[in-house]
Amino acid sequence: MSVGIESSDLVIIGAGPVGLYAAYYAGVRSLKTIVIDALPHAGGQITAMYPEKEIHDVAGFASIRGANLVSNLLLQAGQYNYQLGLSEAVNDLETTANGNYRLTTTTGRQIDSRAILIAAGLGKFAPKTLAVAQGSPLEGVLHFVPRLSVLDGQHVLIAGGGDSAVDWALAAIPRAKSVTIIHRRPKFRAHEASVEETRARGVRIIAPGEIQELRGDGAIEAVVVRQPHAEDEVLQCDRLVLSLGFTSALGPLEKWGIEYVGSHIRVGPDMQTSRERIFAAGDVSEYPGKVRLISVGFGEAAIAVNHIAVTLFPHRHLFPGHSTHWTA
Amino acid sequence: MPYVIGDACVESCAKSCVDVCPVDCIYEGSRRLWIHPEECVDCGACEPECPVAAILYADKAHPTQDLLEAQVFFQSILPNRDSPLGSPRGASLIGPLGTDLPRVLELGPRKAENGDTSR
Repeated sequence: MSVGIESSDLVIIGAGPVGLYAAYYAGVRSLKTIVIDALPHAGGQITAMYPEKEIHDVAGFASIRGANLVSNLLLQAGQYNYQLGLSEAVNDLETTANGNYRLTTTTGRQIDSRAILIAAGLGKFAPKTLAVAQGSPLEGVLHFVPRLSVLDGQHVLIAGGGDSAVDWALAAIPRAKSVTIIHRRPKFRAHEASVEETRARGVRIIAPGEIQELRGDGAIEAVVVRQPHAEDEVLQCDRLVLSLGFTSALGPLEKWGIEYVGSHIRVGPDMQTSRERIFAAGDVSEYPGKVRLISVGFGEAAIAVNHIAVTLFPHRHLFPGHSTHWTA
Repeated sequence: MPYVIGDACVESCAKSCVDVCPVDCIYEGSRRLWIHPEECVDCGACEPECPVAAILYADKAHPTQDLLEAQVFFQSILPNRDSPLGSPRGASLIGPLGTDLPRVLELGPRKAENGDTSR
């Protein structure tokens, strides 16, 4: 093995609910595991799309808030050692001389792994951006707020109409010099009560309003906002938070020589794809009778990881035993 | 799969679904919005966003009229166009279409424009 190349039994692609539950099961099966996710936070679709919504079909929970389910999954997986690589996506896949898989990620690191589990859901999430923000990047234009202190004493503009836009506004109020929300629709998707709370606490709300231009030399200084039946307005801006949701795409995974059915990966009853030791579970996988639900994805994660365990260590049993007999 | 939009959209066209779609598969006809049946990944993000509950789940094995019409929308040549839309893989790549299914065009003009600035 070359210097600088990490090694693992299993790389799990995707830290959504299915990937995290698979990480837990990989811990149960004593597999050396690395989980990779393109977003800076774990939780996949839940975190990106509905962290505040109640999920009603997780076994044993009459209802659980999305963000709470994610933190529980992290707690459960964290009972065992595994490595979680966030803000990192997979690029290339090669086969090494000894038959392992060598993954290269967007951070440039290389991992030799004996098996791979693709729990990529809809694919790699990337934050949506504005057409006018796509040119040369200006400092102060953010898709994620890395820490709230970057908003301290600043003129903060938040673009978007969902819960996360309003949450950023509420978080910014005690810190920022001014807070403005710009949403291109007249109606917010966020709860009306929280929109009203931001307004009551001094946030200026421009809806509908469209950002026409970003101004600044190196760092953002102002944005030009267009509202219907009004002159374009120039707003001072030190931090522009683009909270516009996410796009997803499978990207490089489509070039790995795995058999697909449309935008999903064909798997067998053991969740193995057309390439041996590459498995897929959760929304990304496809087989006859598939039902695309979180509860099914959890089951698929357990099927996949237990089969990976016996594929890598043939003397082990497929059935891990009942968890009531385990000592974690 | 996938999700489909019904005619209730004609009166609203709030486009909140467009904002949440992670695969940009909701296309804007001149009267209403259309989810691309092949591009939709069945995530369900759009369904609760619709203010008039126009978005429904459709099973391809038991296609509803809405699903069949959505297929026609993308496969047929719409008025004032030279070719079918097919699968552009990104509604924002082509923008508002300025036309619609003939049946929908006959429903008459939309009541309100919602003060939308995006056109």
